[in-house]
Amino acid sequence: MTTTAPDPTAPDPAAALAATAATLVGPPPPFDPELAAALRIINEVIPPGGFSLDAIDAVRQGAALENPSDEALARGGAFVIEERAVPGPAGAPDISLLICRPAGTTTPTAALYHIHGGGMILGTNRTGLNEFLLDMAQELTLTLVSVEYRLAPETPHPGPVEDCYAGLMWTAEHADELGIDPERIVVAGGSAGGGLAAAVALMARDRGGPALYGQMLICPMIDDRNDTPSSIQMAGLGVWDRAANESGWTALLGDARGTDGVSPYAAPARAVDLSGLPPAFIDVGSAETFRDEDVAYATRIWQAGGRAELHVWPGGFHGFDGLAPHTVISQDAKVARLAWLRRLLSQSG
Amino acid sequence: MKDLTIRLDALDPQAGAALRVITYFDDLLAHNAGIQAIVRAAAVLSAGPAALVDEARQVRLRVDEAGRLGEPAAAPDPAWPSVPVGSGGGLLWLEQSGPPRPVDAMVLERAAAAAAAVLDRTRGRRDSVPYDQASTEILLDPASPREARTAALRRLRLPETAQVRAVARADGKALVQLVSAAPDPSARAGVGPAGGVADLPASWAAARLALRLTAEGTPDDPGPRIVHADQSGALMVLAAAVGPATPPIADVVALEHAVRSAPWMAATLDAVATSASVRSAAAALRVHHSTLQERIAHAGRLLGWSVDDPAGRLRLHLALVLRRLHRAASAM
Repeated sequence: MTTTAPDPTAPDPAAALAATAATLVGPPPPFDPELAAALRIINEVIPPGGFSLDAIDAVRQGAALENPSDEALARGGAFVIEERAVPGPAGAPDISLLICRPAGTTTPTAALYHIHGGGMILGTNRTGLNEFLLDMAQELTLTLVSVEYRLAPETPHPGPVEDCYAGLMWTAEHADELGIDPERIVVAGGSAGGGLAAAVALMARDRGGPALYGQMLICPMIDDRNDTPSSIQMAGLGVWDRAANESGWTALLGDARGTDGVSPYAAPARAVDLSGLPPAFIDVGSAETFRDEDVAYATRIWQAGGRAELHVWPGGFHGFDGLAPHTVISQDAKVARLAWLRRLLSQSG
Repeated sequence: MKDLTIRLDALDPQAGAALRVITYFDDLLAHNAGIQAIVRAAAVLSAGPAALVDEARQVRLRVDEAGRLGEPAAAPDPAWPSVPVGSGGGLLWLEQSGPPRPVDAMVLERAAAAAAAVLDRTRGRRDSVPYDQASTEILLDPASPREARTAALRRLRLPETAQVRAVARADGKALVQLVSAAPDPSARAGVGPAGGVADLPASWAAARLALRLTAEGTPDDPGPRIVHADQSGALMVLAAAVGPATPPIADVVALEHAVRSAPWMAATLDAVATSASVRSAAAALRVHHSTLQERIAHAGRLLGWSVDDPAGRLRLHLALVLRRLHRAASAM
């Protein structure tokens, strides 16, 4: 297991960085023109500061969180849909896996192990199974497995990430039964789901778990310190700003948020060692809180000798491709993801 | 946060449709969005495909409700709501064949205004064809081979389907103008009739005749600075018949004699010939009504015929036109 090694004599590095960043950052980068127009409407539903934790129940019931039906997921018979209860972490309740298997395949398929987003506090294993993921699974003949993990603040760290890991373990162990090639499982997620996917990849490496084939990290939420230049620069703007991020991390970590002892399995940016990880795909907008932590994560993977592909979409706010899917930049971002996954999978024949 | 679904269209009953449409296009313009983004916004806000075709600016765009770019239909279904874009013959439409919806009119109006602004910014005011004398001459010459005409059209950025006319300017320039363009009001010119690019040689011939009917518009040489061939009727026959070598008839000799007799004479006779009444001629000349009556009587004596009645005024008008045609020969 890899953890940070705090130096008790050093000044608080987070506070020092925040102070430096506050004096050095320029104005926020401009939003992409099409995204700027859509953002005004999006901000009526999702203010930049996110949601108050007090209102979390109402938001979880909200119409904006779409749970596609089995019928919608099946796409007229293209997928066979199954929801399966599997054992959770030791001493914890079962977890539910939503399995979308391409119909009519006779050989094991590669799999996308999907972890939904929602700031650690929202969402289900059906939210985020959007048209894009289904398109990608259909085009590349992938089995989609989407895990239902317990949410913060009711379940703080490590509950959510251990649920995700337990689901991955079960999936790998039951690959034959599911018709999955256990050698070709890619973890994928967006936002909090991206952070959890990165954490699961670290856990699989450290615990000798399934050898993952890749990690697709879509604007991942990976740093509880919340003090990068981009987090300061974008405060009060876009989607999921610094205040919203603080709420999400506080829901997950409580008072431990931002302190030295936070585990990299909660906040992967805390990991000291990023070697030995599966190939990573990371994308993020230039106009969002997570820009700098995500760019740094890719950079550190390269510095550790690993493989990563990084896309920074100019003028993108957090989750732009899902919230404003019609825009050219969203279409291009999806093309880049599909291209990466196709390239990755083609390398194994 | 990325797993939320938010309706962006203006049909959402939760949305104030008008405000949503207006602010959406305003935001796009404020951020310097391109023409594709404008058409895409029309599609997304109306929750259906939208298209923009502006042949003069070589724009052909169709965007479906998911934002995907494609090729527009050759011609829109007449049942679809549509709106002109700018003055260059551009058309924006929504592929909505159901009962009319208020949102469609709103989207079209704002999208058309935004599209016109973006096209002016990004593609220049394509009402004007770039000036290229050699390419223009190829298009105006009936003997030019087809390939040369096609290449000339390309150099002038004109589509094969453009509606155009030839313009012959007094300074010797030959121009091709889009029908939508307003002629330069300051340049003395003859304007040929509108038509397709294949009609340009005929338009050019007519424009050159029309040019000979123009005047400097000065007190010494009064008359129109711009003459449209297709508005000149029988004067075009006169322009074709009277050349530089044609000897002047007696009326023109008398007219020249009268004009030389007083500095106000030419302008006064032109105003009398072309105004609806003596009163309006006096107003145009800024002289008193009774002063003009005296001058008309004086002019009649010099000319040898009265210009106080319709027949005399027609005779005067034709003499003035002939004078221009004789004078034009030396200048053009």
